[in-house]
Amino acid sequence: MPDYVSPFDERVRPAEPLAPRPADVAGQRVVLLDIRKNRGAEFLDRVETLLTAAGATTARVTKEIFSKPAALSLIDEIARGGGLVVEALAD
Amino acid sequence: MRQAPRANGDRDGGPAAELAVQGPGPAAVTIAGLTAGGPALLVFVSEHCPTSALALRRLGPLCPAWARAGLTTIAIFEDPLDVAIRTARRLGWAGQVAGQDPPYPASRAYRLSTVPTAVLVGRGGLLAGRVAGWDQRALAALLGEAGTQLDTELAVPSAAGPLTKPGCSSKAALDPELAAAMSAPDGTDDLEEMFERGWTDGLPVIPPTAERVEAMLGGRDADESLGLVPPAMGEATLARVAACAVLAGCRPAYFPVVAAAARAALDPAFNLHGQAVTTQPAGQLIVVNGPVREEIGLNSGMGALGPGFRANLTIGRAVRLLVSLTGGAMPGAMDRATLGQMGKLGFCVAEDEEGSPWEPLHVERGFAAGQSVVTVIGSDAPQSISDHRSRTPEDLAYVLAWAAASAWSTNWWPLEEPSVFVICPEHAEMFRGAGWTKQRLRRFMFDAVHKPAGELRRGETTPAVHAAAPDAVVPKWAAPEAIVLLVAGGEAGRYSAVLGPCTGMGSQIVSREVESRA
Repeated sequence: MPDYVSPFDERVRPAEPLAPRPADVAGQRVVLLDIRKNRGAEFLDRVETLLTAAGATTARVTKEIFSKPAALSLIDEIARGGGLVVEALAD
Repeated sequence: MRQAPRANGDRDGGPAAELAVQGPGPAAVTIAGLTAGGPALLVFVSEHCPTSALALRRLGPLCPAWARAGLTTIAIFEDPLDVAIRTARRLGWAGQVAGQDPPYPASRAYRLSTVPTAVLVGRGGLLAGRVAGWDQRALAALLGEAGTQLDTELAVPSAAGPLTKPGCSSKAALDPELAAAMSAPDGTDDLEEMFERGWTDGLPVIPPTAERVEAMLGGRDADESLGLVPPAMGEATLARVAACAVLAGCRPAYFPVVAAAARAALDPAFNLHGQAVTTQPAGQLIVVNGPVREEIGLNSGMGALGPGFRANLTIGRAVRLLVSLTGGAMPGAMDRATLGQMGKLGFCVAEDEEGSPWEPLHVERGFAAGQSVVTVIGSDAPQSISDHRSRTPEDLAYVLAWAAASAWSTNWWPLEEPSVFVICPEHAEMFRGAGWTKQRLRRFMFDAVHKPAGELRRGETTPAVHAAAPDAVVPKWAAPEAIVLLVAGGEAGRYSAVLGPCTGMGSQIVSREVESRA
């Protein structure tokens, strides 16, 4: 077998475990992330109405542009908020 | 007096066994058919046997003369028919060809222990002799017997080269399991190995052996990082970039251009991440300017956007392999392109600076004319624009500009991102003759393409069109700077092209100077 140089980055990254899921949204803080895809805000408006009716408090955040990863400062902001996140992904 | 050599096979005069072989035609290959016009010479061979190859090379050219004299010849391979035909053609065998599969019934029927074995079947289908292995004198005697039956003298293989050579074991004489193992792929095909590893864009690649990658690196630091390649954020070490360049088929002389293109594409302003994962058909157009074009043989002339030139094709391919392998953007996985386009295999264009009436792209972007520069632009596939009739620069500019009116989508106006026009030399010459600068052409094209917002409110359109009054004029491009002009192509023919943008990316055009070691 010849000695090949791999084009892949072979490093293995351990999977992050999922955070525990609450049994109920009542009393939870839910961050609604709008990635700026077309009509994503309409979808989040409807979700926000339902969450509020279910007793959750909500906060809206927005990515700079849908086609780029979220800025680290935005991810920090979401993480500091705690609770849950709903992301409106695609149109 | 010297005794004539005898054939070393049997001469029992018994009936020849029927053949169970596959010929290329629809009709069955039979002893009766082969001997209908005279005797037949059956030459049993195997692809892997060197002595069989010798026999086919030495006897093959004589077949046409034998056929004219009435002797039919057929090479019966212990291999599948397609292998038989390919091998016979390669070795110059001019007689008939047949193949047989395990358990090689024809070889068994003739009780073969060796290939090659030549069997002469005379008139009436009777066995008239056989020669096992390569034995020039015995074969001459066998052909003498055939000549006697035809009442003529047949040509015999010359006495040049080895007069005798032992044959190989007939597959019919082998243990069936051993024969099957010999016929199976040997597992050492390194091109297939690349497919199994997934180190490909779907086409065959050059295996990136350590020696080839070292040669590609040319002494550069293999561990130097150009950054992380989205979407999987694999690290683009120079070793991995070089591996992609080897896979793509680059010569080491191309590597500085590949590395510069990779640096440009990894600039966050280019937003490779968005382009790599989008459902759009977005490709990464690479434009090369400066002396390096001539130094490494980049084509900016005839067929500038097409196939035929190694430097253009492999540089573009190397960058795309970096995105899809190191970056993990394989189509159907993290590359979610609905249709994609062939430019995603790689798209590298050199500008015809010498034939252009204008300053080249890299000079427009602030580099000196003598610098070699790579510029990357997120773009769609090219659309050809034919115009053989315009007689004024205004008419030609109008045709070019309106050809792009449907770029991205029919009613998506204005476009923020660049549309790249590749102007062919005959079109460029018209603008040169009229004294048009690049800036004047760009401004004319920008002003030419506009519509009232009310005509654009059908199907997909922009928020700006929705917000505008129906009679408000909307241009196709947000600014003249969204029109990029290059010159390339063959001297004859009035075909330019436009490459639409990828949109919604916030992607900027990025340029990087090519490293010079002079």
